[in-house]
Amino acid sequence: MDQPRTDEDQALVNRTQSGDASAFDQLVVRYTPRLYGLVYNMTSNHEDTNDLLQDIFSKAYKAIRGFRGKSSFYTWIHSIAVNMTLNFLKKRGRRFQLSLDDVDASIQNDKEFLELTATSSPVREADLSELQRRLNEAMMKLSDEHRAVVTMFHIQGMPHAEISKILRVSEGTVRSRLFYANRQLQNYLDEFRKNPVS
Amino acid sequence: MDESNDSEIARLLRLKRYEQPPPGYFENFLHEFHRRQRDELLRQPLWRICMERTHEWVFQFNVRSLLSYPAAIAAVLVCAAVVSLKIYQEPETAKVALQNPPTLSAPANAEGGWTLASPVATRIFRTQPLRSFDESSQTHFLNSGTPTRYVLDSVPVSYEPTFTF
Repeated sequence: MDQPRTDEDQALVNRTQSGDASAFDQLVVRYTPRLYGLVYNMTSNHEDTNDLLQDIFSKAYKAIRGFRGKSSFYTWIHSIAVNMTLNFLKKRGRRFQLSLDDVDASIQNDKEFLELTATSSPVREADLSELQRRLNEAMMKLSDEHRAVVTMFHIQGMPHAEISKILRVSEGTVRSRLFYANRQLQNYLDEFRKNPVS
Repeated sequence: MDESNDSEIARLLRLKRYEQPPPGYFENFLHEFHRRQRDELLRQPLWRICMERTHEWVFQFNVRSLLSYPAAIAAVLVCAAVVSLKIYQEPETAKVALQNPPTLSAPANAEGGWTLASPVATRIFRTQPLRSFDESSQTHFLNSGTPTRYVLDSVPVSYEPTFTF
C-alpha cells in the first residue's frame, strides 16, 4: 500500500490554502484510489462510494483553510472519509445492495489468490464471484466500526497507530476491535466450510 | 483463535483490493468533482456566495486582526458620544421639579377640552385646599375683568398669557 508523503502533501495543502485550486486537484488525484478502497469496502456499493467520495473531497476543500497541520493531511483526509462513511452507514441502516462485479482481472495473476485457490481453503470450491460474495457478506455482518478497522488494517494495510489516530481511539481499542472482527469473520468462514454452496 | 486462521482471513481480505471501479473511473473523477462543485455553486443563493467570498477575503487578509484596534477605539468613541449626548439633553424641567416638588392639581381644562396652552401654564400649583366652583367664581371672574392670577406662597408662578403669538 502507498505510504503517506507528508512533505509533498503539506506543500500542496499550503498552496491550496493560499488560493491555488490546482494544488487541491493534485491531492484529489493522489488520494482518490486510496479513499475509494476505504469507502468501497465499508459500503460495498460502487454508487454510494462515488457519491461519498465526491462529498468527502468537497468537504475537505471547504475545510482545508482550517487545517493547521496538527496531524498529517493523510490522517486528516482519512478521518473525514471514515467519519462521513460511518454517518452515511448509520443513515442507510441495513438497507444496501452489493455491487460487486468490478474485480480487476489482475487478481488471476496474484500470488496469494493462486495460493488460496490451490489449497484446502474454502476458496477452493468457490469461483471468483462466489468468493467476492462470501467475503462481502462476511464483512457486512460486522458492525460499521469493526468493518472500518478491518478495512484499514487488512485491506488498506495501515498500522494500528495510524488507525488509532484516524478513529481517535486508543491502539488497544483498535486491537480489540480487530480481534473481535477476526473472530466473527472466522465463524462465518467456518460455516462456509461446512456448507460451501449455501 | 490461532494465528493461521488470522493469516487466512488476512489473505482473503487482501483479495478485496482487486475490487476496483469501472475502467476510467479515476481518470474521470476529477472532472466529475469539478462539475459537481460548479453545480453546487450555481445552486447556492447569491447572499451565501457573497458571504463566502467575504469570509474568504477576511481570512486571506486577516482583516479581523487589522481591524481590532481601530474598531475598539471607534466603539469607545461612539459610547462616549452617546453618554455625553444623554447628559447634555437632560431636561431642565426635571431639575426644577426636584428643587421645588409641588403638588399638582387638575389642569385648567380638566373637563377634557383641548388647549394650545403650554403644560406649565395650564397647571395650577395647589397650596390651599380646593374651593368649590361657586366660591372661586365669585371671588375672581365675576368681580374683576383682569386675567386670573395664581399665587404660590405669595410668589407668582407666571404672568404670561396661556397662548401668545
